[in-house]
Amino acid sequence: MSDSNPAESAYRFPEGIPIDPVPQGTVLLVAGPSLSPAEDVARTLVADGSVREEGVLFVSTGETAKKLLAACRRTVPSMDTDRVGVVDCTGQDIGQSDSEIQVKYVSTQSDLTGIGMKYSALYESLYADAEAGRVRTGLISLSSLLMYNDLRQVFRFTQTIASRIDSAEGVGVFSMDPTTHDEQTVNMFHQVVDGLVEVREADGDADGELRVRGLRDQPDDWQSFDLP
Amino acid sequence: MSHRLLCVDPDEDARAETVASLREELADLNPTFVSCGTLAEAESALSSETVAVITEYELPDGTGLDLVREAEEVCPDAGCVLYTATDPDTIPTDDLQGSLTEYVGKGSLFGDDRLVKLVRTTIERGGQTSYPVPQTEDERIDALRSYDLDSDSLRGALNRLTDLAAMHFDVEIASVNIIDEHSQEFLACHGPATEWESTDREASICTFTILEDDGVMTVEDVGEDPRFESRRTDLVEMGIRSYMGASLLTPSGLRIGSLCVYDGEPRTFSSADEEFLRTLAATAMEFIELHGRADGTEVAG
Repeated sequence: MSDSNPAESAYRFPEGIPIDPVPQGTVLLVAGPSLSPAEDVARTLVADGSVREEGVLFVSTGETAKKLLAACRRTVPSMDTDRVGVVDCTGQDIGQSDSEIQVKYVSTQSDLTGIGMKYSALYESLYADAEAGRVRTGLISLSSLLMYNDLRQVFRFTQTIASRIDSAEGVGVFSMDPTTHDEQTVNMFHQVVDGLVEVREADGDADGELRVRGLRDQPDDWQSFDLP
Repeated sequence: MSHRLLCVDPDEDARAETVASLREELADLNPTFVSCGTLAEAESALSSETVAVITEYELPDGTGLDLVREAEEVCPDAGCVLYTATDPDTIPTDDLQGSLTEYVGKGSLFGDDRLVKLVRTTIERGGQTSYPVPQTEDERIDALRSYDLDSDSLRGALNRLTDLAAMHFDVEIASVNIIDEHSQEFLACHGPATEWESTDREASICTFTILEDDGVMTVEDVGEDPRFESRRTDLVEMGIRSYMGASLLTPSGLRIGSLCVYDGEPRTFSSADEEFLRTLAATAMEFIELHGRADGTEVAG
């Protein structure tokens, strides 16, 4: 993998979302207020991997695995669930039997150790099945984890997740509502990620606007986007 | 820079195999290994220099998570990996808030390879710290260690600067600190800070100061700053309610530490205050530079 052509091995995103391919190991922070489509963008960037035969792994704090899957299908209707995993932290364990995807449950968002270990275990499983070990991670959302945990603990948790993504040459997308946190908190997470995707509502017909900061070879001005 | 790894597995053959694999694959990082088979031996082997802990879950006298919890105390920046045959769904984690560990299944298809890559990334990224580090961390540490900081004359000069800072800002405490790889060391102090000893880097306010682009960081009230929430009580007991620090900047722009003042009450600092402290920090750095060069030492950074 590491010897492959960087341009060919880069992770690509769906048409309509103006983010150019990013190198393996990249972690993005998608930030936008709760009324913006920021979480839709984050979910879509990750779920799109399923149609490219990549593994898709979510850590979901606010939505059950079932609701998350339904939300993903709104923007990625052809989502292939063969290589999709979710660490469901909502505390609503409904078991694996009726799920079409791999789900591991954690009883509370404050159990960062459990979330981390189950994330790692699912990653192992998806890594083995995905095309060339390519796995996308979505952590939705950091803001929710910060309601249940100390900032430093969540920072360390995201460092661990980012480290896993880097070492496995995956790609990661973390979402956050920056309006619910103070500047110091938001700035700390800028240190963990490689690039920041800011999302806001648009005035016209577009679904929203975004701009990318911190990554080379990406347009850094506001651009409108349409979710697939 | 040597990296100390701790490998724990009650199965002697498996342990030797893990160490041999890591030793071969990570040779370029120059790691040193300590290996043992019990929790008690492993806890004794932990040190502040440990950068990664690789442990089985089932140990004869406890579990790998007991060791992770102890590592949190002894070497809080270390990355921990459960390299285990135990199903992660059967491992209770509810009461381990704050402790983090990676999981790699021993029986998994890529187990050995995944472990090597994870440990490599953990070392290269500086463990699993609870604080951000500068992108130039390796160069910063090299620069810091190129200075001779032990002389009485240097410390005397820096002490006079902390006296001046305390007087100017009408505070009881001021200090010149350096931020080493895993710790904060006090080079010079005014007031109660003369009693302070070296701290873990994660407990340091100044480790955030060296990230500031403009070289100065102010905290008007540590009680209101989420970065110091877990340290709030300790800081207040030390007489720290508000803070301003200015980075010690090497000629090539690396931040090796800071000069800071602490107030026992919440307060604001003006831009003129920031400028004055920045000037004092620059003077402190000139003293350090002059000292390093005074005995012919080649100063990096």
